Amino acid sequence: MRWLRFAALIIITAIIQEGLINILAITKLNIKPDLLIILLVFFAIYSSTYEAIITSFAIGFLADLIGHSAMGPHMLSFGILGTLLAHLVGVITVRKMPYQALLIFITASLTNISTHLLNALKIQQHTQNAYTVIFGIALYSAILGPFLFLPFAWWMRIKTQQLSKR
Amino acid sequence: MARKRFKLTRGILFIWLFLAGLILFLSPQKITNKCQFVFTRIFQLPLKISRSISLSAQTNRNDSDVISRRKFIKLQNHLANLQAQLTQTEEKIDQVTGMKNRSGLEGAKILLADVITASLNSLHCEIIINRGQTDGLSTDMFVLGDNSIIGTISQLSERTAKVKLLTDPAFKLPIKVNGLKTNKILQGAGNNTAKIKLLQTKYKINVGDYVYACKKPGYLDQPMTIGKIKKYTRNEESSLLWDVTVEPACNIQNLNSVAVIIMNPQIQAR
Repeated sequence: MRWLRFAALIIITAIIQEGLINILAITKLNIKPDLLIILLVFFAIYSSTYEAIITSFAIGFLADLIGHSAMGPHMLSFGILGTLLAHLVGVITVRKMPYQALLIFITASLTNISTHLLNALKIQQHTQNAYTVIFGIALYSAILGPFLFLPFAWWMRIKTQQLSKR
Repeated sequence: MARKRFKLTRGILFIWLFLAGLILFLSPQKITNKCQFVFTRIFQLPLKISRSISLSAQTNRNDSDVISRRKFIKLQNHLANLQAQLTQTEEKIDQVTGMKNRSGLEGAKILLADVITASLNSLHCEIIINRGQTDGLSTDMFVLGDNSIIGTISQLSERTAKVKLLTDPAFKLPIKVNGLKTNKILQGAGNNTAKIKLLQTKYKINVGDYVYACKKPGYLDQPMTIGKIKKYTRNEESSLLWDVTVEPACNIQNLNSVAVIIMNPQIQAR
């Protein structure tokens, strides 16, 4: 793993997620794809389990930094789900785009739900349409995600055709 | 002597990182928020550029609508504020005739600030601005956008501040609907809307009626416009109450700069 490239990639992605991605926002609920979750799935698929654990927690930490709520929920949910995903990918092969999209959808849904619940635990608040937004973000990310794997792989110098040895 | 190489197993690595996350989660928000402020300060420039590009792209998309409309909304809000001020002045004159009256924002300092980042969705509605404690800001100060109130300062660092917007689900503020002589509570509802709580159906309201933030001594000395009634229906649980939806008086998403009201700049400076 090229860790410097990884650090640059997640910081650039976080900055895009915080501003530029608003161009792609749809509906009145302001639904936009979650690039950090796409990145989480990418590293879970294309790196070793050991590296995937580190990348998952690191991406989660960055999601907390750009998030406007409490610190910690993203790091915990990204870390746990990223680790589970890395173990799962060690058993099954996810090469085709529809499967990758499905994996992004499931991961995004579970991650956002757990983050939302952890946030609610720390900051008492009632939100409307929360699950509609979570579902919307997951679906949007799933549609866009597999297409972004190629530029991510190019930047990280990872060959997407060959799954790394675990 | 052979040196023993220390290598973390996957299990131990996971537990360590998990514990780090747990400590972060359980730490007081006041402390952990400093990390967010530091990140925002370090990457202030790229964050601003990223936001500006997205804003300009959105502006180009509906060019005919935004430019003239924004000016129109700004003037409309200014007019609404003046009307509120006039009404208040008239009431005061009626009550205490002969006493010297002064304008609500006289002596107050209006501090301009740039928006660094904005998070606007149904879960959180907050912006981070490039002014902080060193500029004399403190929590609960009111923030204006296009001459209307958009929220209050919720958290502070030395050079940055978080503004909780009126549409944030955790935001609550006493308000007054134009023409009604009763104060109610406005609560954010996400998705660029807020709700007015417990307004009885005996009060007559209309779509488009202005909603004003009530006076708050030391923070806001005159009512100021906050939004307009977007729609109202009978409450599903109690037919004696209105379910009122309020939309902000300005387009918060497109704001590049805001203004913070410092009512007593001399006291703040000390």
